[in-house]
Amino acid sequence: MITLLLLAALLWPLCVAGSAIWHAYRTPAANRHHFSLLWISASWPALLLAYGGEAQWSIDAWMLGGYWELNALSRPWLAFTAFLWSLAAVHARGYFVAEQANAQVGDNDAQRRLQRLALLWPLTFFGNVLLIIAQDIASFYLGFALMTFAAYALVVHSGSDDARLGARAYLILAVIGEGLILGGLLWAAGTAETLTLEGVREGIAGAEQGAMMALLLWLGFGVKAGVIGLHVWLPLAHPVAPAPASAVLSGAMIKAGLLGWINVLPLGVEGLSPALTQLGNVMLVAGLAAAFGAALYGVWQRHPKAVLAYSSISQMGMLTAMVATGLAAPDVWPLLLPGVVLFAAHHALAKGALFMGTSISEHMPRWPQPLLFALIALPGVSLTGALAAGLLSKWGVKSALYESQHEQLIMLLTLAAIGTAALITVCVWRQWQQRQSEGGNAFQWGAWLVALIAALITPIWLPLPDTSMMAPPMEEWLGIVWPFPVGVGVVAVSAYLLRSVRLTAPPAGDLWWTYSALVVRGLQSVRFIAHTCERLKIASLARSLAFEKALMGQLQRWLPGEGWMRRHGSGLMMALAVVLAFLLMWEGLR
Amino acid sequence: MNAAWLPLTTLATSLLAAAVIFLLPEEARRLRTSINLLAAVSKIILVALMVVRVSQGYEDTFSFQIVGGVEFVLRADALGVMFAGLSSLLWLCTTIYAIGYLEGAANRKRFFGFFSLCVASTLGIALAGNLFTFLIFYEMLTLSTYPLVVHSGTAKALAAGRVYLRYTLTAGVVLLLGVVLLYSLTNDYSFASEEGLSPYLNDHRGLLTLIFVLLVGGLAVKAAMVPLHGWLPRAMVAPAPVSALLHAVAVVKAGAFGILRVIYDLYGIELSVQLGVTTWLAVAASITIIYGSLRAIAQQELKPRLAFSTISQVSYVVLGVSLFGPFGTIGALAHLLHQGFMKVTLFFCAGNYAEELGIHRIDEMDGAGKRMPLTSLAFTVGALGMIGLPPIAGFITKWYLGVGAIQAEMYWVVAVLVASSTLNAVYFLPIVHRLWFREGPAHGKGAWPKEQRLGRLETHGWLLWPAVFTALVSIGAGLLAGLPFSPLDWATRVAVGEYLP
Repeated sequence: MITLLLLAALLWPLCVAGSAIWHAYRTPAANRHHFSLLWISASWPALLLAYGGEAQWSIDAWMLGGYWELNALSRPWLAFTAFLWSLAAVHARGYFVAEQANAQVGDNDAQRRLQRLALLWPLTFFGNVLLIIAQDIASFYLGFALMTFAAYALVVHSGSDDARLGARAYLILAVIGEGLILGGLLWAAGTAETLTLEGVREGIAGAEQGAMMALLLWLGFGVKAGVIGLHVWLPLAHPVAPAPASAVLSGAMIKAGLLGWINVLPLGVEGLSPALTQLGNVMLVAGLAAAFGAALYGVWQRHPKAVLAYSSISQMGMLTAMVATGLAAPDVWPLLLPGVVLFAAHHALAKGALFMGTSISEHMPRWPQPLLFALIALPGVSLTGALAAGLLSKWGVKSALYESQHEQLIMLLTLAAIGTAALITVCVWRQWQQRQSEGGNAFQWGAWLVALIAALITPIWLPLPDTSMMAPPMEEWLGIVWPFPVGVGVVAVSAYLLRSVRLTAPPAGDLWWTYSALVVRGLQSVRFIAHTCERLKIASLARSLAFEKALMGQLQRWLPGEGWMRRHGSGLMMALAVVLAFLLMWEGLR
Repeated sequence: MNAAWLPLTTLATSLLAAAVIFLLPEEARRLRTSINLLAAVSKIILVALMVVRVSQGYEDTFSFQIVGGVEFVLRADALGVMFAGLSSLLWLCTTIYAIGYLEGAANRKRFFGFFSLCVASTLGIALAGNLFTFLIFYEMLTLSTYPLVVHSGTAKALAAGRVYLRYTLTAGVVLLLGVVLLYSLTNDYSFASEEGLSPYLNDHRGLLTLIFVLLVGGLAVKAAMVPLHGWLPRAMVAPAPVSALLHAVAVVKAGAFGILRVIYDLYGIELSVQLGVTTWLAVAASITIIYGSLRAIAQQELKPRLAFSTISQVSYVVLGVSLFGPFGTIGALAHLLHQGFMKVTLFFCAGNYAEELGIHRIDEMDGAGKRMPLTSLAFTVGALGMIGLPPIAGFITKWYLGVGAIQAEMYWVVAVLVASSTLNAVYFLPIVHRLWFREGPAHGKGAWPKEQRLGRLETHGWLLWPAVFTALVSIGAGLLAGLPFSPLDWATRVAVGEYLP
């Protein structure tokens, strides 16, 4: 039964993609519905699968040997991923209504764009599902690569210059990331002679060069997860992608990076080498730097989705720090893992709701505006930990860290929550400034509302292994809640103080511009070297040609001799015979 | 039980086809096509029979003495059958493709005749049981390919043919020198001698190294290893099916296959490692891989870019051989097949673009995905496979090579592989992007360079289906690599059964 469900979960998105192709050729453009019920249902079997219980499959014929598993980690992960994808698909149906109408009346560009999106959306989802259930390296890598490359269409959708830049940044970093992952996986799997992710984990823990492998994998998956320095695609890609695509990018896909870490890094393994512990510390610092740096940079952005992108970087920074403790202080990890999963799930839905919210404020339904904006802000408030699931997820992480006396880290994470609050405040404020009442439709706000509610009640529906997710005791509430008002206050006060100062927003994508300047500089020197080499080659070619010519000239000087030899052929032959005869005689005499 | 007729008949199918085609008049198009296809299909059946025989443990050998001490030997061993399988399967695809490609063109008799001869030589190389036989077919390949390279008869083609002959004939002489030296040393030139050359190691170390350099140096010209690769990009003036055959199977693979034979059968992998030549070979292969990729990026035309990509990819095979160990060996053997399928797909597609739309340059390919979806899909599969993305076959070999490098403790090889993957992405992804994400003539912007409507489908069916088929095989070989008789499985069988201690 559950195997059938698995087949459905994997094949259904492919069938949906197939039907998109079918419609592209068989249905006339005027009555082509890209976002039909069939299309929306692409992620439903996978959602069911997440609630189908634990199971394992191994398929020998599949690539290098397939091994898939629904376990305590992959079930909740699949649940929130598939749930978010389902909601985003419904949202997309509302979001693209205008574009769909244009396509039906004969706008070729709109047709092409929607066609592409309708085809690659289910494929991206398929990759995402596969990487979650995969426990063997090949399937995992397949899912990851498919998701990464198919998502290009989601980013580039609008086709504007900005979208192309964002998509290019996304793709370049993705290729770099894939390279790092491949290197790390090869190294680890080759050393440990394994084909499963578990084997990789054990291999890294035991290998001499484990820290280097872990570093490669950390950075490789870090491209997706927005590790500081590799995060530059997020603020470039998110603002330009359509809202539902941003929702899945920021909610589900960057979590794939996190899942990658959890799958391959030896988290919570006792007795790691000092180098690995050191790597854990580096990750911790990088995570916290991202958590704070992104907040500090993000609050200056004008585009609400850019602000949200920086918020994602900041949140992923916190998650990086938590993962890092699994290396730096392995004993905490078993306690921390459920908290991390809940944190990730809650962030996925909340960030999904926030991104969908940006499209709500652009197409406001005729609701009372204060209520609307309160709702738009709500998932953000939850993210700061001030209420509902956010509160619980913060507590889940905190209590685990308390038990192992990591007060400093708790302090820093709490401080980072101020940043979250500030970012959310700025985001909602920007949305308020840029609001447009163009009347959304029911699909759009329906999906958004469901995502919002689902975010708030995450622990209720998430199939976590045990229901140990406790509400924090009363006296702790204040300790978790306070960053929110402080963050809002900081933004309000700063806005008041800076009201007369005209500031230009720093460009989204921060380090991207530095990188591209460096690369341009680097390419110039490469070009110079190439030109030098080419000149060298041409020169040596000319030299050898000249040499050949000179040699041939020398040889040709002997040509007249040929005629002479021909004339005296018989005489020469005679002379040769005589010489040979003498030689023979001399040989005989000896 | 030795079925000596089997290797001989298999070889004869192509040879006979060539002879009959040469005898038929130019106008007998249908008859020629039927004979060609019949021969190709019957050859596949015969090779399949050989596969079965080999997997049952037989090694069918055909031999006769030419003069004293010089024997002509055809032997169907596992490695040879592997190459023969690739060659015969792609012969069928390429023949079908060529029939569509040359529809209405002149000199088809000459083309198909030499084409069959070329495939016959490939098969001879695959089944050659000793160096002498190998050498005969190797030179026959050189000569039978020349008329194909210069088929169009333009000045450029003739110049390319001249360059090709210069490179390959010189290489043949060097190879011959190596063989003669070897013979003078050992009085033996057969593959698969039990002891190999190890008895000579202590006394003739220098000479053995010299012979190795001569043999591999001669073979490396056909395998297009840097700096002996100059002929390959120039030979791109040949018609598309010839480029496909040259690049995927016949010539470059014959070189790589020869290197495999020299290392595994003639010297033996252990002796090669003791001589210390494998490390140098790995370095040379790595340089070729990186250099080929870098040059590919600089190309503005599609076929030369693919040619440099071939230069880079074929050296994967050599790289895998030089990684002493099971994974490297399996990777090398599997790549022989995988790269064949993927590269032939790419060349078929390049030919389709050129025939149907007149596209030769990469910047003319904008939006071609809409006009020719199946071709573009096949191209995308080939390109992603070259990058080494799963589930396409390229990933499997890259994985095996990487793991082999780690186990041989040559960590820098992994860096080379990763760099090569990235460079492949740099020169293939822009093409894929152009195909699917840019707007072009298919969207009403500009016009194709020279559009023809060759068929009811996006192009002539004879051109389309071979490309689709090889693309499917590329996916299948990767996705179902665990099945028995998949290329990976066969490579494992060859490696584990024959060459590993």
